[in-house]
Amino acid sequence: MTKNVINSTSQQWFTAMLSLLFLLVSAVSIAQENYTVSGKVSDAANGETLFGASVFLEGTSIGVVTNEYGFYSITAPEGNYRLLISYMGYSEKYQEITLDKDQKFDFEISEFSTELEEVVVSADEPERAILRKPEMSVAKMNIATVKQMPVVLGEVDILKSLQMLPGVTNNGEGTGGFHVRGGAGDQNLVLLDEAIIYNTSHMFGFFSVFNADAIKDVKLYKGGIPARYGGRVSSVLDVRQKDGNSKQFAATGGIGIISSRLALEGPLFKEKGSFLIAGRRSYADLLLKAAGEDNSVSFYDLNLKTNYKINANNRLYLSGYFGRDAFELGENFTSSYGNSTGNLRWNHIFNNRLFSNLSVVYSKYDYDLGITTAEFDWVSSITNYNLKYDFKYYFSDKFKLDFGASGIYYDFDPGEIRPTSETSSVNSFILDSKKALESGVYINAEHKLTDNLTAQYGLRYSGFTRFGGQAMVEYANNQPVVYNSVLGIYERGTEVGETNYDKGDVIEKFGNFEPRASLAYVLNDDSSLKVGFSRVAQYIHLLSNTSSATPLDVWAPSGQYVKPQLSNQYALGYFRNFKDKAYSMEAEVYFKNTDNRIDYIDGSDLIGQNTIETEILNGESRAYGLELLLRKNEGDFTGWIAYTLSKSEQRTPGGNAGGLGINDGDWYNTPYDRTHDISISGAYKLNDKLSFGANLVFQTGRPVTYPNGQYEYEGISVASYADRNSDRLPSYHRLDLSVNYKPNRKPERRFKGEWVLGIYNAYNRKNAASISFGQNLETGANEATRTAIFGIVPSLTYNFKF
Amino acid sequence: MYNYIKSIVLLLFVSITSCSDVIDVEVQEGQSRLVIQASLDWEKGTTGNEQIVKLSTSTEFFDTTSNTAVTGASVSVTNDVSGAEFIFIDQNNGEYTTSEFVPVLNESYTLTVIHNGETYSANETMMTVTEITDLYQGLEDGFDDEELELHVEFTDPEDEDNFYLFKFQKQGDLLPEFEVGDDEFVNGNELDWWYEIEEDEDTDKIEALAPGDVVTIEMYGISEAYYGYMDILIDQIGGVGIFSATPVAVKGNCINLTNPDNYAHGYFRLTEVNKTSYTFE
Repeated sequence: MTKNVINSTSQQWFTAMLSLLFLLVSAVSIAQENYTVSGKVSDAANGETLFGASVFLEGTSIGVVTNEYGFYSITAPEGNYRLLISYMGYSEKYQEITLDKDQKFDFEISEFSTELEEVVVSADEPERAILRKPEMSVAKMNIATVKQMPVVLGEVDILKSLQMLPGVTNNGEGTGGFHVRGGAGDQNLVLLDEAIIYNTSHMFGFFSVFNADAIKDVKLYKGGIPARYGGRVSSVLDVRQKDGNSKQFAATGGIGIISSRLALEGPLFKEKGSFLIAGRRSYADLLLKAAGEDNSVSFYDLNLKTNYKINANNRLYLSGYFGRDAFELGENFTSSYGNSTGNLRWNHIFNNRLFSNLSVVYSKYDYDLGITTAEFDWVSSITNYNLKYDFKYYFSDKFKLDFGASGIYYDFDPGEIRPTSETSSVNSFILDSKKALESGVYINAEHKLTDNLTAQYGLRYSGFTRFGGQAMVEYANNQPVVYNSVLGIYERGTEVGETNYDKGDVIEKFGNFEPRASLAYVLNDDSSLKVGFSRVAQYIHLLSNTSSATPLDVWAPSGQYVKPQLSNQYALGYFRNFKDKAYSMEAEVYFKNTDNRIDYIDGSDLIGQNTIETEILNGESRAYGLELLLRKNEGDFTGWIAYTLSKSEQRTPGGNAGGLGINDGDWYNTPYDRTHDISISGAYKLNDKLSFGANLVFQTGRPVTYPNGQYEYEGISVASYADRNSDRLPSYHRLDLSVNYKPNRKPERRFKGEWVLGIYNAYNRKNAASISFGQNLETGANEATRTAIFGIVPSLTYNFKF
Repeated sequence: MYNYIKSIVLLLFVSITSCSDVIDVEVQEGQSRLVIQASLDWEKGTTGNEQIVKLSTSTEFFDTTSNTAVTGASVSVTNDVSGAEFIFIDQNNGEYTTSEFVPVLNESYTLTVIHNGETYSANETMMTVTEITDLYQGLEDGFDDEELELHVEFTDPEDEDNFYLFKFQKQGDLLPEFEVGDDEFVNGNELDWWYEIEEDEDTDKIEALAPGDVVTIEMYGISEAYYGYMDILIDQIGGVGIFSATPVAVKGNCINLTNPDNYAHGYFRLTEVNKTSYTFE
């Protein structure tokens, strides 16, 4: 038991971190006559706090943007200032202040359209190239932008919209999830109000789990992941739910062909709090049943949020999500799966410079299969409990610190067979449940070194402890997989015994330092250059040997045989605004490599597999690419062109198992490799009543494995397959269009309705989701069959709010 | 058991997908290899003396014209316990036959094929199979509770791990259907294995089982290694969809002693088999 095990407790690490903090703090000179102004910025209409609004002392370079809870804190030398609060899409607000003592100002700002006659469609601040912040490789989407884009099946879809940005792709239609910079789907940390979401899609990817009516904002870190996040090597998708309107009762909803939704929100406790409750349900299943169809699919989900302001310095938030998909195939098979999450948060402002948030988060993903014919149920789940405490310290106008700690306790129940009757021919069986604790402590500084140079640097230490309560199989020569050099295949190793671990025992421990750093250098008022480095460790893995992940795939923790994935990413970017910020351009190049990326041996069997180590080989992956994004942010016509040129590949040598490995140990394409990816998205506002949207997408086809020969065996033609992922599906492309019609737009009326007509895949391209090879049942000749999920899909939705 | 779950995932997906069509696709052309179909099947109640080994070559995937039969090879099988050697005689059509084979359950045999100066070899044990206890039709079970299915009942022997291969063929159909099973979750139980044909509503090319249909059933007891081989093969027969495992090159047990890279496709299996048929009412 040597390895990279670090025996110190996380408490010791926390102490070490704190010492580091003080070291950093003392390095920054302290001016005696400085005072602080702090407070919150929120929307005047509904009281929602605004994340990313900028608060500046006019005429200086002193300022900040508000955090996730709308909080800001500015420290400046004594004097008279004009405080400027701005947020794109909102009118600016000024406040004269005399900074001779610490003080507090809360601001409410209003959206343009509610005040001004002439409506300017304009992107939010975060969507422009942000020059000064070292933050890079971030894709931020405002819900208003998402809602302008054409939709499939009438539902606004955050994930599909993100895929229009550079570096983000899907894995083909009809599959869930998304891929960032050549990474796998399980390498994305998806957070909904800080709770981990394990499956982001409904109906195999037809819809995302995020109900746009309940979402405030969406931020995707493609790289340069801040130190406060950890656990997934590819990206972090941070989705925040709305708090709920604290000014007045409001309803938002939509009626579509496939599904409908309704969100209600309003003040609570005499405006000391608010609530939001939002639900969606598809009803295709009801229609199918009414039509006498036995098979059906359906989903529903529910978002809940409420908050209570105890006093100026303390606020509680409670949020939850519950979603479920259900499938029925006649009476004999049923399946359902879904996420459920809950989060209780306590915002506490220690003083005008120290903001804190304590969260207790619960999250679960589970599925069950009911197989009536064979009289058994198959159930599987992953549950986690997360306690985290985050601080933000606004030390001075030049120096800000984030620090905190978190612990996630996981409970993996990969599978259980339950006979549903006494006559069932199936024996009851439970796969080993697994338990683990993932912990992290971090500290991160945002440090303005000079007027032109800002640095962000930090360190995360993550630990992972795999607990007992199960037996671990031991293999001859410590080889769970063995290369059979006679037959030239990888086989399961020989079990030689078991070690039983009690519940308190530690099976394996890991610890990793994860440095993160980035630097922004402002070249002039309109352009900047940024570089970034991040190292991230990932301790849990989604097991999937299929072309696309399915809802029935199982998560597994690291342990004796499955090592944590470790990734380093390097990025360099150039950012520029043109024509008084009407246009912006972002260009980035990146390189990342990931150690301990597993792949599956030929013929691996993952369903009901108790010893996953016998099915895998350990390898590595690497990805690199160039991303370009050109946006038009203002005017009647807005939109962007995104282009990505990239490569994603992996290598899986035989290692301890012997042999050359998968594909003879050579590099091969990952399924997420897309050489070219072009996305063009545009929105045109003709007048107050009519607007139009369009998306055009082109992508290199997904790497797949095709046959390279055939032979006769036992009366059938058998295909022999080529090297893994050495072929490609045909290129993927499609055009979506939408028309948005707002009748009777009278500003004084509370009730506002709009019709959205969408056409997905307007020229009816049959994009191959897969191509399968087999024999024609009548002639016996081999043929290739393409499966396309969506042809042209028109949809009509009526949205309303009041 | 896994196969149930696998099928369900596929079915779930198929049930929501709309459109599939046959298209032209360019594929790579791999190395042509010798294909050995050495299936020494011993039908219960027979002597098992008559056996055939078929040799052919693999071709480009869409090739329909090549004559793939391999003639002029030498084929023999040796009982590793008794040392008895059985020579298979070249019938000049790719088939090599003997009428003197002596099957002995649970004994190990070695196949030797010499072709083009290269020697291929494989080793396998003769496997037993339990008897079919009942054969009947039903409606309620299966993937569809409104379509007929065939039930094959047998009792799994409790003392060992068992692996099964089923071959079902409806009379008049061009291609047989294969299924494999193991007793991991059902060891020692009385098992009901059902076979149903899913109607293809879009093309009408596949019809569900109907009264008057005759289905032949072959039930083999197979080795774990052959189970592993057929499991992959069956998954890949008829094509690999989006939620199937990524297709892989399947390697059998026939190795090339002269030039290991030039291994042969196919398998050397020795199995006991129940053969029967059922006419639907």
